[in-house]
Amino acid sequence: MRQVAEGSQAVSEAVRLAKVQVIAAYPITPQTHIVENISEYCSKGTLKARFICVESEHSAMAAIIGAASSGVRTFTASSSHGLAYMHELLHWASGARLPIVMADVNRALGPGWNIWLDQTDSLSQRDTGWIQLYCEDSQDVLDTTLIAYRLAESVNLPVMVVLDAFFLSHTYEPVDVPDQKPVDKFLPPLLPRFQLDTGNPRAFNQFVAPQAYMEMRYNIQTAMEQVPENYVRIAQEFETIFGRPYSLAEAVQCEDAEIVFVTAGTTVSTCRQAVNRLRAQGEKAGLLKLKMFRPFPIDFFRQVLSGTQKVAVIDRNCSFGASGIFAQELRAALYNAESPPRIFGYIAGLGGRDVTPQTIEDIYWQTQKENNPQTESIWIGLDQETVESWQN
Amino acid sequence: MTDYKTPDNKIPLFLPHSSASTDLNKTGSWRYVRPLYDEKTSACSAACPVGEDIARIEMLVSQQLIPEALETILKENPFPAVCGRVCFQNCEDACNRSQMDDAVAIHHLERFVGDRAISSEQTPKIKALPDNGKKVAIAGSGPAGLGAAYFLTRLGYGCEVFEAQSEPGGILRWGIPTYRLPQEVLEKEINRIEKLGVTIHCRTPVTTEMLETFKTQYDAVFIGCGYGRTIDLKIKGAQKAINGLQFLYNIRAEHDVEVKTKGTAAVIGGGNTAIDVARTLVRLGGDPIIVYRRRRKDMPAFDPEVQMALNEGVKLKELLTPIRIEDAGSASEDHPAPYVITLQKMKVSATEIKGRARVVPNGDKTEKLQVDHIFTAIGAEPTESWHHVPTAEHPSLTLSHCKLIDADIPIAYGGDLTNRVKSVADAIASGKQAAMALDTYFKSGWDAVNVAVTGCQVGPGPVVSMAMYLGEERKDRNPHIVSYSEINTHYFKSAPRTIVPVLPPNDRNQSFIPVESMLSMEAALEESQRCFNCGICNACDYCRLYCPDMSVIVENSGRGINLDYCKGCGLCVAECPRNAMALKEEDG
Repeated sequence: MRQVAEGSQAVSEAVRLAKVQVIAAYPITPQTHIVENISEYCSKGTLKARFICVESEHSAMAAIIGAASSGVRTFTASSSHGLAYMHELLHWASGARLPIVMADVNRALGPGWNIWLDQTDSLSQRDTGWIQLYCEDSQDVLDTTLIAYRLAESVNLPVMVVLDAFFLSHTYEPVDVPDQKPVDKFLPPLLPRFQLDTGNPRAFNQFVAPQAYMEMRYNIQTAMEQVPENYVRIAQEFETIFGRPYSLAEAVQCEDAEIVFVTAGTTVSTCRQAVNRLRAQGEKAGLLKLKMFRPFPIDFFRQVLSGTQKVAVIDRNCSFGASGIFAQELRAALYNAESPPRIFGYIAGLGGRDVTPQTIEDIYWQTQKENNPQTESIWIGLDQETVESWQN
Repeated sequence: MTDYKTPDNKIPLFLPHSSASTDLNKTGSWRYVRPLYDEKTSACSAACPVGEDIARIEMLVSQQLIPEALETILKENPFPAVCGRVCFQNCEDACNRSQMDDAVAIHHLERFVGDRAISSEQTPKIKALPDNGKKVAIAGSGPAGLGAAYFLTRLGYGCEVFEAQSEPGGILRWGIPTYRLPQEVLEKEINRIEKLGVTIHCRTPVTTEMLETFKTQYDAVFIGCGYGRTIDLKIKGAQKAINGLQFLYNIRAEHDVEVKTKGTAAVIGGGNTAIDVARTLVRLGGDPIIVYRRRRKDMPAFDPEVQMALNEGVKLKELLTPIRIEDAGSASEDHPAPYVITLQKMKVSATEIKGRARVVPNGDKTEKLQVDHIFTAIGAEPTESWHHVPTAEHPSLTLSHCKLIDADIPIAYGGDLTNRVKSVADAIASGKQAAMALDTYFKSGWDAVNVAVTGCQVGPGPVVSMAMYLGEERKDRNPHIVSYSEINTHYFKSAPRTIVPVLPPNDRNQSFIPVESMLSMEAALEESQRCFNCGICNACDYCRLYCPDMSVIVENSGRGINLDYCKGCGLCVAECPRNAMALKEEDG
């Protein structure tokens, strides 16, 4: 049924449809609507689940780890500082191989105190062993959340579904909310591969000596390597039932493109419009929507971008002292490829600053002008007066 | 581990897990402090003259264990239905709950338990030692005498009580009006004492000659004859006044009920007898005025009783002392009242006597009060001169509530004869203390008495516990009194004190119907649940819930610590809502 829903609500609806059994969360702007909706479902009985109120994000993840260890389907959501506070337990969740799904609403970290879009919060967690899936619009959010459960449970690794603060979390648009029956077909009840069971007492995750620790880590890595393949199969199954395709990274007019934009989140939508405008002017622009960031689908990128001359990566994040993180990852992925493209890194739209079609066109012209990138990342839309005043 | 394969998962999980029991890891070896169940003393129980184990009693009521609650009261007090009505409730003044909202209605709950025992004709189990062949004669069947008989019988002594009046009970029967204590309630509780094997000889006043023969027929004597004689006014015209205590006796004995009650009456005095006389007059259609030489706040009468008297229409004139009573002379239709009292006005002096305000005549200012009757209730004294405790002729031992002398055989004095506070509960306490003292005397000799009795004190004393004397579990209780700050109040919700329906004041001048009614079962449960159970383990199991090592174990009905695994984190002690636990450093 089509509904007008904000991105937050799309997450909550997916959690309801996934018949999640335990939710623990601590509210933080702009994630709050997600957990508010879910708590209402729980109190009304639309979702028969236990909602655990906790005093912090650290405890939220701890509670979810406990619940997931007992073999039930779980969910939490956070953002920015909340996610950062969870960090220690994010490692634990993946190490313990728990198929937890979490929504992260991308928000800037302070100071300066800022509640708007910035991708640095989720990207700071890239080494925690969580699968990361980025979403473009509300439909993408709902569908990705359902896919996330299948994916998490297939490899026993946690999944982070990432959506932009306000541009997505608080924007209303039409969303097709599927009926329960097809969702049940796509996502059957969780069959845990291991669980805490008083009938069969067992201790998990105790001390591990050097003789076994490395194999444990390699086991996680091999599971991660299997993720793209599983994702493709699960997404195909999803498309069969619901009619909406989701690839690892959607390629838009890339075949003959001379410059391909690579970006994630709502910027993808803006970029689609910019590409159309540039094509209308006879420019050979293309777009690659970055959907899966962890594991980074290296083979897929090498395949799609082989033969492309220039890639312009738009990062709404920054790894200080290096560059935009998507650009950094893409450079690393393509370095050993045959005839890799030149990667132009652009940092734009931090802390909720707008990235308009015009911004993207400016990036295009700038990329076209240069043969080779002059620097690892170019900051777009800085207030020149302010920046120049620092030189004096 | 049961793992399975689907198209989605091809690689087996490699996870650390073990089915070996963690029993091997005796984490108790990490401990340097250990938790223990350390039951402490509740403030109410230490304030109770008979030392009732109130925190436990309310716990038992809240668990609907009413027979067990009764038996717990009867360990320390044979008169729950009586005391639930007439006691002045020191316990409620001490109640920690009053710092949160309102004190627990302890006396209503005591009465509830006592009345249920009467109405259900319950035969409680009362612990009694076998007959030891020794006999004790008891003079007086008031609360002190019957208390002594009850406790001595339980300690194995054969007791015979000698009572001057036609019925047993002393002040309980003759001095307390029925609107406070119905006769039937008193008789049922006296019957319970008789059933234990106590013989009561009525119309048999003890004389000095009898006392001499007692010395050959009995092993010990207890004298609890009370203060039977009202102190007379020593002023001109005093013979025109009626003895207040005698008046109350006559009402209970149904003598002269119709006379001397209509019209205005001056009741001279400020004690409980003055209040009882005034409230009785109200019920007989009289119009009493209490005349007291100090102020209301100085009155020795229990304040709730004073308040009820005022509610019922009793008037109070303060800082006045009678100096002369005369006939009005010109008694006529207009001025029917036959007596005029001249009252000296008093004023409060700057100095105090024993904490009470001292009053002195306010110059020569006087006023006159014309009334139909005058009642005196200015205090009482022993009926016979030999009731006074001898001071010098024999070796003696003075305890908080009784005095023991060694006169051929041991003689104990108790009740009003020895008590600083003249109350029913203190009288019962004196009987109990005397029973312990005499028993210790026979078993271990004179010198052991003081140590044995003070060894059974509830908290810092002076009240004593028979359960402790008999070596019951209560003996192990820590004397520390739990304060409000030691209660984990976040475990308790504010809840109003149960309001017991009372007879409207306007209806009280019609009859001697009891003013307060009994709690319903439902109300009693609710009220008992308000009790913090200070210092007592009520098996709430917060310790067990919070123990991270699952080291709190259920032992019989109580709780224990499995020291093999307890790491001594102290969570259980910190979480105990009622301070029934403690942490102790390990030795070495």
